[in-house]
Amino acid sequence: MEPLTSVNDSPMECTSLSASAPIWQDILAQAMTGELLAAMNYISLSEICDDPAEVADALEHAEGERGHAAAFAAEGRKIGVDVTNNVDAKHWKRLRDAFLRCITERDFIGCLIVQEIMLESFAVASYSRVGKVAPASLGKTFARIAAEEEEHVDHAMSILRAERALDAQRFDDKVHRLHLDVMTTLAQMLAKECKDGHCEVCHATCVKPSLFEVSLSAAELRGASLQQYLKTLDKLGIPGEVTLAWVAQLPV
Amino acid sequence: MGSSVASVAGRGRTREADFALIGHQESWRAAADVLAVLRGPERTRLPDDELKDILPWIPPRAVCHVDVESIVGAQARGLYIDSFIPPDRLEAAYVHENIARVRGAAACAIKAGAKIVSLGGFSSILIEGNFDQLPERHHTVFTTGNTLTVAFIVQGIKKMCALEGRNLSESTLLLVGATGDVGSGCARCLAPMVKRVQLSARNVERLRRLATQLQAHGVQVEIATDLQGFSAEADIVICAASLASPSLLLGRIAPDVIVCDAGYPKNLSPSAEMPGAKVFFGGLGQITGGLRFAPDFRGILNRHPFPNVVHGCLLEGMGLALEGRFEPFSQGRGAITPERVEEMETIAARHGIYLAPLYNADGPVQHGTSLPGGMIERLTAYASASRSCGGSSWRL
Repeated sequence: MEPLTSVNDSPMECTSLSASAPIWQDILAQAMTGELLAAMNYISLSEICDDPAEVADALEHAEGERGHAAAFAAEGRKIGVDVTNNVDAKHWKRLRDAFLRCITERDFIGCLIVQEIMLESFAVASYSRVGKVAPASLGKTFARIAAEEEEHVDHAMSILRAERALDAQRFDDKVHRLHLDVMTTLAQMLAKECKDGHCEVCHATCVKPSLFEVSLSAAELRGASLQQYLKTLDKLGIPGEVTLAWVAQLPV
Repeated sequence: MGSSVASVAGRGRTREADFALIGHQESWRAAADVLAVLRGPERTRLPDDELKDILPWIPPRAVCHVDVESIVGAQARGLYIDSFIPPDRLEAAYVHENIARVRGAAACAIKAGAKIVSLGGFSSILIEGNFDQLPERHHTVFTTGNTLTVAFIVQGIKKMCALEGRNLSESTLLLVGATGDVGSGCARCLAPMVKRVQLSARNVERLRRLATQLQAHGVQVEIATDLQGFSAEADIVICAASLASPSLLLGRIAPDVIVCDAGYPKNLSPSAEMPGAKVFFGGLGQITGGLRFAPDFRGILNRHPFPNVVHGCLLEGMGLALEGRFEPFSQGRGAITPERVEEMETIAARHGIYLAPLYNADGPVQHGTSLPGGMIERLTAYASASRSCGGSSWRL
C-alpha cells in the first residue's frame, strides 16, 4: 500500500450515497491506485532525466498525481468509506513493470508514451465519464482531475510530435511495441468481466456488474477509454487505419 | 495481420490520396466482418454483444487503402474511410450524431490530402443539403456521387427491359422517393423515354415542383404521397427512398413488374411478397481495370456476388480521380440532368467502369450470365447471408 499525503477533509457531505457507497469505494480505489502508480512512474522518470528542468517537471507531476490520489481518498471519507489502494495488484503491477522497462532502457520517449498516451487516455476518459454521473463533490473531483490529466497529455504531445517528426516509422513501431504490452493489460482491466480472477483492488467482489447502479457500465468505460486513446494517437499523426487495427486486435 | 496492416500503412504514409470514399456498415454482420479482417485470422471474431458495445465508440477513420486502375492505364490511389455509424442508428433520431460522424470522416479525408471525396449513399443523404457543414476543405472537393448512381440505375432499367423483352416507351414508371437527388435524377432521365410517370414521395410540394418540370417537357405525370394507390399500375418501379432499413412494401403490384431497388440502405422489405416481379439491385458499377484493397477487404467492403462491383456513388469519385477531374461533380439536390449523367457515363466508360451485372438477393438476374470459378459457392453463401440479415449489407 502506498501512503497518502494529508488533505483538508471536509465533513461527510453525502450520507445519501450510503446505498451506492461500496460501488464508489471500488471506483475510487481503482482511481487512487492509478494515481499513485502514475506518481511512482513520474518519480522513476525523474531519475533518468538529464535536464534539470525535466527533472523538476517530472517531480512536479508526481506531486500532482499524489494530490489526485489524496483527493480521491478524501472523497471516500466524505461518503463514509475507506478507500484503499494496491499498486501491486496484478494488472497495475504489469503496467508498472512495463513502465520500468522503459526506465531501465533510459527511454524517456517510451516512458511518455506509456504514461501520457496510454495510461492517461484511460484516466481522462474514465474520470470524465465518472465525473458526469457521480453526485456532488465526488463528480466535481473526478471532472477536475480529468481536466488536469488532459493538460498533462497536451504537454507531452508536443514533445512526442517533435520526436515523431524525426522518424515517423521508428516512432510508430515503438508505440506499437508498447501498445502490445501496455494496452493489452489495460484491455484486460477494461474487459466487461474480469475473466481471470479478482483484480486485487476491489474490496470485495468485482465492481463491474454493479456499475449500472451508479449509471455507469464497464462497456462504456472501456469504449470511452479506447476512443480517447485512438483520438490521442490521431493527434500524434499515426495513421488511423493502423491504430484501428491495433485496437481491433486487443483482447475483449 | 497487425504487421501487414502496419506495413501497408507505412508505405501509404508517404503517398498522397487522390480520392477518399466515405461510408459505413449497413448491418452488424458487415461490421463484424470488417473487424474480423482487422483482428486477423489468428484471433476469434468479436462476439455480437462485444461488437455492439465497441463499434459505437470507434471514431471515424480510414480502414484501408484502395487502388484503382483504368483500362487506359491511369491509376488512382485512395482510402476507404468509415464513419462507424452503428447499423442500428440510421434513423432520424440520430441525425445530428450521424452528421457529426460524417463530418469526422470528411476531416480524415482532408487530413489525408484526398483531392476528391465520394460520399457513400447514406452519408450523402445526411450531407445533401448541408455541404456547408463539412470541415474547411483546403484542396479537397466532395461529391455525392449521385450522378453515376443515376446513370447505372437508368442503364440497369434499360438492360432489364431488353432482357425481359419490354418496350420502355410503352411502360408506366413509378418512382418511389422521387424527389430525392437520385430519384429526381432518374425521373429527368427516364421520363422522356416512357409513356407515363408516377412520382411518389412524402413531400407534396416537392412532388408538384418536379411534376411541373417534367410536364414542361410534355411528359404525362401523376403524383401521390400514398404509394399504395399507384403501384398496381406500374410496369417499372424504381425504389430510391431514404430509409433507415429495408422496410418498403409496394403493396399491389402488376405481374412481371420490373423493380429496381436502388436505395442505400436497400428499400424493399425482405418480407415483401412480389410473385413474378423481376427485382434487381440498381446503381451498381463494375471496375474492369483493377481494384485492390490493402489490407485485403475484397468481398467484405464490397459484398456483391461479382468481383470489383462498387456502388455508383463511390465509383464517381474513383472515375473522376482517374480522369484527373477533381471537381464537386454532384452536389445538392435536384441538379442531376440527362446531360450531366451522359457526361459522367462517358468519363466512367473511358476508364472501364461499366454497369455491374444485374443481380438480386437470390443471385444473377441476367439470363445466361456466366460466373467466374468459385462464384456459385460465393453466390450461395451471399444469398443465404442476404436473407438472414434482412436484405443487403454491403458497403462499397
